[in-house]
Amino acid sequence: MFVYSQLSGNLRFNTLVPNANEPTTQPHWFQTMLIGRRPRATLVRILALVVVCFVTFEFVLLPIRIDGISMQPTYHTGQIDLINRLAYIRHEPQRGDIVSVRLAGTSVMFMKRIIGLPGETVEFHHGHAYINGQLLNEPYVKFACQWEHAPIVCDATQFYVVGDNRSMAFDLHTHGRAERERIVGKLFL
Amino acid sequence: MKITIRLTLLAAAAVRGFWLWTVFFPSPEKVVLQKIARLAATATFSADDSSLIRAGKAGNLVGFFADDAQIILDAPGQAARTLSGRDEIQTAALGGFASLPQLKVQFLDVTVRIGADRQTAEATCTAKVNAGDSKDFGVQEMRFQFRKTGSDWLITRAETVKTLS
Repeated sequence: MFVYSQLSGNLRFNTLVPNANEPTTQPHWFQTMLIGRRPRATLVRILALVVVCFVTFEFVLLPIRIDGISMQPTYHTGQIDLINRLAYIRHEPQRGDIVSVRLAGTSVMFMKRIIGLPGETVEFHHGHAYINGQLLNEPYVKFACQWEHAPIVCDATQFYVVGDNRSMAFDLHTHGRAERERIVGKLFL
Repeated sequence: MKITIRLTLLAAAAVRGFWLWTVFFPSPEKVVLQKIARLAATATFSADDSSLIRAGKAGNLVGFFADDAQIILDAPGQAARTLSGRDEIQTAALGGFASLPQLKVQFLDVTVRIGADRQTAEATCTAKVNAGDSKDFGVQEMRFQFRKTGSDWLITRAETVKTLS
């Protein structure tokens, strides 16, 4: 039944039986290999594939190559990943999410982890992050540090983002409050 | 058939004419974009460039700025610094070009907005800077303000933008 419904639907199969009286004009095997037995259908397939790839990689999943040490050991330089641009359509970014923060555009972005949500106070004491005065459990931080920073309050539209590699000097590590509109999406993998 | 061919040729000529018009009389946005691209090319030098070439490039760099231009630099991990006027900019450029082994500057994601008076413009971009031999690079969001002086667009203000506050 299932096969029948498929056959009667949009799928078409080449079921023509060659007539013995008619000369067969078989395409060259190389042509068949390159563009198939039905070039028009192949062209439609290629166009569909191009459109799907363009839409997917332009508006849904943004391919990125990671560069830098601020997210070690979670991510390393040279890793390829995808940014899910639709991750925050139904809900706002959550604590612990690894997000990409755009600069002037999306050619180069910061990749950071959200530790502070809007309205929260973030501070660093003896290398540990505190949210509203409570110690934040961060199992992903593997390198010890001695970061010290006075409390910073996130506005209603701001998220506090920081990398996992806290062994870097505080001033050399790019971190801070990111506006919600700058968060492009969530890391896919 | 003849009419079709004539119409096609006419359309092609019109497209070519429009293209030539945009080449010879570019829009202010295009002029500013070209200016930013040339700024990046001027600020870039390789390790093979002699001191003379570097000094020449530093001199050319000043030509992009207005007499009263200001450069305000406040990047993470570096002391805030303000350069006022062409002389200060030239001194800093000469010092930088002489001390760095090589420098590669790129301005990415450039967005240009022309003011309502058509005499001013603002451009935002991401500066990607690679200094030295390593593959490491720094990125910094930048904002440029331009003013039309005669037929030229000159930078009146260049400042760093804090992506994360």
